[in-house]
Amino acid sequence: MSTGAALTRLAQSSSEAAVGILELFAPGQVQAGDVAVLDAGSNPLAGLPYPAVATSVSYVDGVTGGNVFVMTLEGARKLAAAMMGAGEPEPSDAGELTELEASAVSEAMNQMMATAAGAISTVLGTDVEIGTPETRTFLAEYQTANAYPATPHMVRAAFSVCGEPCRLVQLVPNAFVVRMDRALDELGAETAPAAASTTSASPHGAPSLAGIPVRVWAELGRASMPTAEVVGLPQGAVVELDRAPDEPIDLFVNGRRFATGRLVVVDGDWAVRIESVLPSSSDSSDTEGEVARWPVSS
Amino acid sequence: MARVLVVDDAAFMRKMVGDALTKGGHEVVGEAGNGTEAVAQYQALKPEVTTLDITMPEKDGLAALKEIIALDPGARVVMCSALGQESKVLESIKAGARDFVVKPFQPDRVIEAVGKALA
Repeated sequence: MSTGAALTRLAQSSSEAAVGILELFAPGQVQAGDVAVLDAGSNPLAGLPYPAVATSVSYVDGVTGGNVFVMTLEGARKLAAAMMGAGEPEPSDAGELTELEASAVSEAMNQMMATAAGAISTVLGTDVEIGTPETRTFLAEYQTANAYPATPHMVRAAFSVCGEPCRLVQLVPNAFVVRMDRALDELGAETAPAAASTTSASPHGAPSLAGIPVRVWAELGRASMPTAEVVGLPQGAVVELDRAPDEPIDLFVNGRRFATGRLVVVDGDWAVRIESVLPSSSDSSDTEGEVARWPVSS
Repeated sequence: MARVLVVDDAAFMRKMVGDALTKGGHEVVGEAGNGTEAVAQYQALKPEVTTLDITMPEKDGLAALKEIIALDPGARVVMCSALGQESKVLESIKAGARDFVVKPFQPDRVIEAVGKALA
């Protein structure tokens, strides 16, 4: 997997975690925008309306790197009001947040990053821990120029919260990309492109699960034979499978039969058109369970 | 109805947890913003239940939990953290926490956890 793809995956996974949390605080007022890999050396906070409020959280171990969630002052105020169940914020001319508002925005960031860290831990296979959030107000863009340590890679995900623009920037050192790359490669070999698109339907309350890559594979059919016959199979032998050519094939997700469909060709590659998605409780068999129930073919 | 010490580095979360507990008929007898303050407040106030965040400056919630349990093996502590990783939950329970509430939470979940800790 390329660095760009690994970075984009990282941004998407964090973006889904962030949207899941923000939706709980401000229901119906969160929209996810695009995800982009930024040029090294560019200012990740450029182009936003100011004054703006930025909350940063760094990873403390497991993974080095940091995250900055930035939104307009007005947006931060609206989010804080929504989190406190107050509806609209009190009108104010103050150029910064009150202590309680800043604390609410920090806590939103803390929960977003904790959720994202949980998803990243699953991908990397090691615990990723986060530090405590730090919130700052920037009155103009020039103040943001060197506000956060430069890293070789940066990604940003855009959102709209309470009608105000905001973005989540991830500051990514090389070591992180290498580890992410390796972990995603291990998972990615069998990950169908379809898996990414299904993750947008994140179940409420479980946003951390939405970004986890899963293994998806299709199965044409099976055969059962004694080990002696298997090891004795010569080149050119024909192994008969248990399925007729006009029968649907099975699609598995992480070992669980998930759907049936038809084998088709899309852009020169094999693909599966789903015919029916199995109800989640109807078939709990994993691969071994399925094999065990098979009749031995003659 | 119990006397509760609420520990979280975010004033906002202390208010949310406090509001939930008040709604559930409990009394918030004190607040702390980090692990060091939490241990000091625990000794000073002797609360019946303590809610503890994990990610905090100076001293984190797990370190504070271990110190509180060392001071008072019968302490009733409910962890209340956004870090819901299995390892954190297990470490907390092993160290003597009675329950673990993952943020974001519904107020009823906090009330239930405190109720269970008192039972």
